[in-house]
Amino acid sequence: MNLHRTYPIAGGILVAIFLLVIPQTLPILLIHLSTEILYFALFAVSFNLVFGYGGLLPFGHAALFGIGAYTAGLLFNHLPQLSILPILLIAALSGLVAGFLIGLFCVRLSGPYFSLASLAFQMFFFAVALKWRSVTHGSDGMGITRPGLYLPLLGSLPMGEVQNLYYITLVLVALGIFTCYFFLKTPLGNSVVCMRENEIRASFLGYDIFLTKITVLAVSGMLAGLAGGLFALFQGFVSTTCIDVNMSLIVLLMVVIGGTDYFLGPVIGAAFYLIFQDWLSGMTRHWWLFMGIFFVFVVLYLEGGIIELFKFGKIRLWISKSGNKT
Amino acid sequence: MTIVKLKNISKDFSGLQVLVGITLEILEGECHAIIGPNGAGKSTLFNIITGLYRPSGGKIFFLDKDITNWSAHKIARLGISRSFQITNIFPKMTVFENVRNAIVSKFNRRFDWVSLLNKDKKIGEECDRIMNLLVLIDKKDVPASELSYGAQRQLEMALTLARDPLLIMLDEPTAGLTADETRKAVQMIKQVTKGKTLLIVEHDMEVVFSLADRITVLNYGEVLATGAPAEIRENEKVKMAYLGRG
Repeated sequence: MNLHRTYPIAGGILVAIFLLVIPQTLPILLIHLSTEILYFALFAVSFNLVFGYGGLLPFGHAALFGIGAYTAGLLFNHLPQLSILPILLIAALSGLVAGFLIGLFCVRLSGPYFSLASLAFQMFFFAVALKWRSVTHGSDGMGITRPGLYLPLLGSLPMGEVQNLYYITLVLVALGIFTCYFFLKTPLGNSVVCMRENEIRASFLGYDIFLTKITVLAVSGMLAGLAGGLFALFQGFVSTTCIDVNMSLIVLLMVVIGGTDYFLGPVIGAAFYLIFQDWLSGMTRHWWLFMGIFFVFVVLYLEGGIIELFKFGKIRLWISKSGNKT
Repeated sequence: MTIVKLKNISKDFSGLQVLVGITLEILEGECHAIIGPNGAGKSTLFNIITGLYRPSGGKIFFLDKDITNWSAHKIARLGISRSFQITNIFPKMTVFENVRNAIVSKFNRRFDWVSLLNKDKKIGEECDRIMNLLVLIDKKDVPASELSYGAQRQLEMALTLARDPLLIMLDEPTAGLTADETRKAVQMIKQVTKGKTLLIVEHDMEVVFSLADRITVLNYGEVLATGAPAEIRENEKVKMAYLGRG
């Protein structure tokens, strides 16, 4: 085995062990933070699938996240007998459908026009969530009673315990991120990168640009919807904050800070952003200011995001090469 | 047999009449060259046949199928493949990945979402075949942007030929090459397109007369003459418009 394979495998095992022992060793507040990092990591990965790999910059990605969150939230409250996993699956599917529909309208536009059209769609869904009070309770939000989770061997797991929430989030996020990773390794994933690299050439090779773009938005929507569902499950509360402009902006910051060129860049970005925010907001009310300064710094002086700092010469340690930077 | 038939094709760009009633037939197995002074409408005609532009009037038939107003990717899938005058490749990808993009499309695996691309033997072997054919195999892992200009033109050819097209359209394949490279390129084109139908636009008369079986001369968006190279050389109208009176 050469170094190129040993390092990622060893690193992967270490990270897995670390993630598994978090709930046993860390204080409760940090378990909270870790869970948040997990589902935001999935959201950021889904964003980067469109931005980094597809070359489209959506300003309204929170629409997909929010639709997932509201779908899960409403189902938890009105159809609790479905139990957790099917509900989260439906949340993911709702994201997929929303991604497909938004794509259908936005994808014919390119560059900034695409970005703004996606923002317009997000504002539309935001308005629905805000004004349709009989269903969504508007900006007051709605509380969620979490059904228990029944597993074959372990029996019923109460979802009130933060450890259990952490583990279910970990498993589903890992599944989602793996799905995305696998997607990029298939010919379809290659079609997406190929389209980003040179649209005209790709279409003269027989690639249907329109359909490819819609597909990538739908897949991304599925992952964002799942992340949103996990958000609803974990917070036990869904309000318009999960579908507002701020949410779209946060995920954009995470991805750019983390780095768009590598598959794990957004994961690093999400972790860094939330830890940094947690730490700063404990010290000052003006943490946004410092976050902004940091963002500007990254954009100006660390173009590939902080993931670039983890590269040591030719050996990239545990960071999997994405095929994005080819 | 006729592969492509153009019937009365015209094109105007917001009032500027670029093509006026072009009628043209391209026969199976021939090498057909389109020549004409700058601005005669050669590239526009290319772009119309391949679906980049839509014609303002007229019809295009490919193997008796009406393909007027089809989009580019559908026309490409039918078996019309083109190269570009300005090199048009995937610059950040390696030579291998460039060729693979074409092969994936050729095997209609563009929307395959269940298999791993790297592990696919059939695609890998076909890529090797194409890279061998165009002598690119030793540059397999070089990013396309780092290739020399000549090698980029070769890669452009590789992308064009990879789909085993029924009609190969080359837009100034020797543009920007030195005399020596041009000679090599012509050799290569002859070799790899043997027995295939070729439509080329070219400025270099030496290239045109050494490759073409038939030549069509365009001038101000109209067909001036079509015929064998010898006829074209003798045609008075062509001499007036293009080759000069000399």
